[in-house]
Amino acid sequence: MLGLGADRLWADMNRLLALLFHQGVLDEQFVQLQQLQDESSPNFVCEVVTIYFHESEKLLKNLRGLLMEREFSDYKKMGIHLNQFMGSSSSIGAKRVRNVCVAFRAASEQNNRAGCLRALELLEHEYCYLKNKLHELFHIEQQRLLAAGVRYPMQN
Amino acid sequence: MAPTIESVYLGNGGLSEGNNKRSNRFVKATWKNNLTALVVDNVELCRVLERENLRAYGVETVAVETGEAAVELVASGSTFNLIFIDIYLPTMSGPEAVRQIRAMGVRSKIIGLTAIITEKDEQDFFAAGIDEFYEKPLDPDWFVPIIREVDNQI
Repeated sequence: MLGLGADRLWADMNRLLALLFHQGVLDEQFVQLQQLQDESSPNFVCEVVTIYFHESEKLLKNLRGLLMEREFSDYKKMGIHLNQFMGSSSSIGAKRVRNVCVAFRAASEQNNRAGCLRALELLEHEYCYLKNKLHELFHIEQQRLLAAGVRYPMQN
Repeated sequence: MAPTIESVYLGNGGLSEGNNKRSNRFVKATWKNNLTALVVDNVELCRVLERENLRAYGVETVAVETGEAAVELVASGSTFNLIFIDIYLPTMSGPEAVRQIRAMGVRSKIIGLTAIITEKDEQDFFAAGIDEFYEKPLDPDWFVPIIREVDNQI
């Protein structure tokens, strides 16, 4: 029964990943990221994604701060933040977030404040969805490792 | 012997002992030479992933955050077979850093990186002295052939 628990959780993980790929939330780059995880760094994906969350939230705060300024006009600074967000999102395979950044950047280049605001709301929504799903994925992975550990208590 | 792409488990006394700070790392390629790379990227996530991707392919890699740090490192005598550098860096830009590195007579392969390539950025960066320009992230499909080419030229 305990072994079945680990297997079931493994299937849940794969189903969730398949869904995220199907929805275009993640792309092939996430698989590349997983391939960098090995015995010498067993928590690599989680650590990298944690850095991504930390950086993304700072960038989102900066972007919102800029757009909320009454006399906002620093589209160049906005472009720099977006560039960083695009780069980091591409690097972990966060495809939909990256695509929204591209649209946001286009609005920024046209000095289109209303367009930027709309894009920011969409970006916050997409980021929130991604974060929740990745948390769910890591939670299932943790549960699976616990279940697998309980199944083979004598194996170290 | 021609370089091969093979998975090699590096334990103590492995083939490329000097190439990685992490021991017991599963390396995806071995090369004729001990290759070194410098990564210059102010976005921590990108910097970490660029470094780890290169290390995964057996390239001893150092990562710095700024153009100034890269220029200082090269000026101090450090040599690298490959330099991967982001175009948008704080204070000293990627193109400026490349100009200064090339002015020191460095002939390493320099690969410019960006989140999204624009025509103007492409012109500026190539004018500064890069050899190639790619959008992030580092993808083995394009960076492994570059490493192979550099390895064959040594």
